[in-house]
Amino acid sequence: MRFEVFRQEKRKDYHQHVGDVHAPNMELAKQYAQVMHARRKPANSLWVVPKDDIGTVDADEMGVEMGGTTQKEYRWATNYSTGQMAEEIEDSQREQEDAERELKASKGEGGD
Amino acid sequence: MDIETVKERAGPREFGPGDEMPEEYRKAATRMIQFHANSEIMGALIERPFIRQAPSLERKLAVSAQVQDEIGHGQLLYRAAEQLGVKTREEMLDELADGRGKFLNCFHYPLDHWYELPMIMFFVDGAAMRRQASLKRTSWEPYAHAIDKICFEEGFHIKHGEDILREIATGSKRDRELLQEAFEKWWPRILQFFGPTDDASTHGGFAQEVGLKTMSNDDLRNAFLNAYLPKAEKYGLEIPEYPRIEYDESRDHYEIENDDLDWDEFGTVARNEFPTGREQIDSRGRRQEAVEWVREAILDDTAVAGTTGAAAD
Repeated sequence: MRFEVFRQEKRKDYHQHVGDVHAPNMELAKQYAQVMHARRKPANSLWVVPKDDIGTVDADEMGVEMGGTTQKEYRWATNYSTGQMAEEIEDSQREQEDAERELKASKGEGGD
Repeated sequence: MDIETVKERAGPREFGPGDEMPEEYRKAATRMIQFHANSEIMGALIERPFIRQAPSLERKLAVSAQVQDEIGHGQLLYRAAEQLGVKTREEMLDELADGRGKFLNCFHYPLDHWYELPMIMFFVDGAAMRRQASLKRTSWEPYAHAIDKICFEEGFHIKHGEDILREIATGSKRDRELLQEAFEKWWPRILQFFGPTDDASTHGGFAQEVGLKTMSNDDLRNAFLNAYLPKAEKYGLEIPEYPRIEYDESRDHYEIENDDLDWDEFGTVARNEFPTGREQIDSRGRRQEAVEWVREAILDDTAVAGTTGAAAD
């Protein structure tokens, strides 16, 4: 059976997907996960989830649109030029700029 | 965990569903998050008519996107509150519909005209954002996680609100007059957004002690005024003489004159007894009833449930 492993590096971090393990049951899966994904790298907690229990939605499925597939510039803070903003708005805008960059990178901007 | 331990350990994202929290903490956190969630929903309700009234297609799209976001925030927050084990999401939605659920003072007043929209979409949302940014460090982790996503999206709302403000403020003389009128009407409500001054606040102390709140009402209001008063001036808005606010240069601090603000009306609003607020609550209650069949259809697993990703985008 295949189990997906999510590692939380420090307390209060988000759990992030780090890979998978094969094991006959949950008990062993947890042990393997510790060995494979938490022995060298710092880890505070692991989530081990049977692969079959994970629902998935893929961007290229029929009828699925997950953002960025249509023109939605009006939806981004970066589209409005308003000069210096309050600190927390600047933070939010920076996050959006990062997200936009990632979105473009993942689509191989410039390629098509 | 007893309440003393909670106070000792209280810090950013310190507690989560895995911790056994005392009832006092769970109730205080539920009250705070439920209030926030309700406010998102009632804010969306106020903004929604302006999808239709927006003067251009771009504005229509942006207002519509914002309304979708607010509803999404509400749902996220109900989930974060639900994990405290005090109330279910359905209970909280029912409380909002039957007038027991409390929400932000500014969403109890009707929004009659496009000129008033920036008062909500820029000043009130800006005030909300100031408060929300401080809650990235709240001690209830699921709340902080919801806030991460909310703050990500909120930047767009406020910038769009400012863009509308700029458009009106650079319009005709009549535009500017109506804008100033709207500002004067909303100014006292915006000052009241953060609640009473610290010496008169009832829940603030405990919420800060257990790390749910990280800034006091006065500090939040001050940070908001520091950032937004220059903006108001930039767009030619005149700060009304009353209610008085006084700037203390040595402390870089704004004092508000509590006596100039109508705290009786605020109390009536807060108890959901203000007539226009009542109407908003009832109107939302009717909507909840009207779409009851949708919830039933979704829960009935013989029906084809769900929505497309495109609809949620």
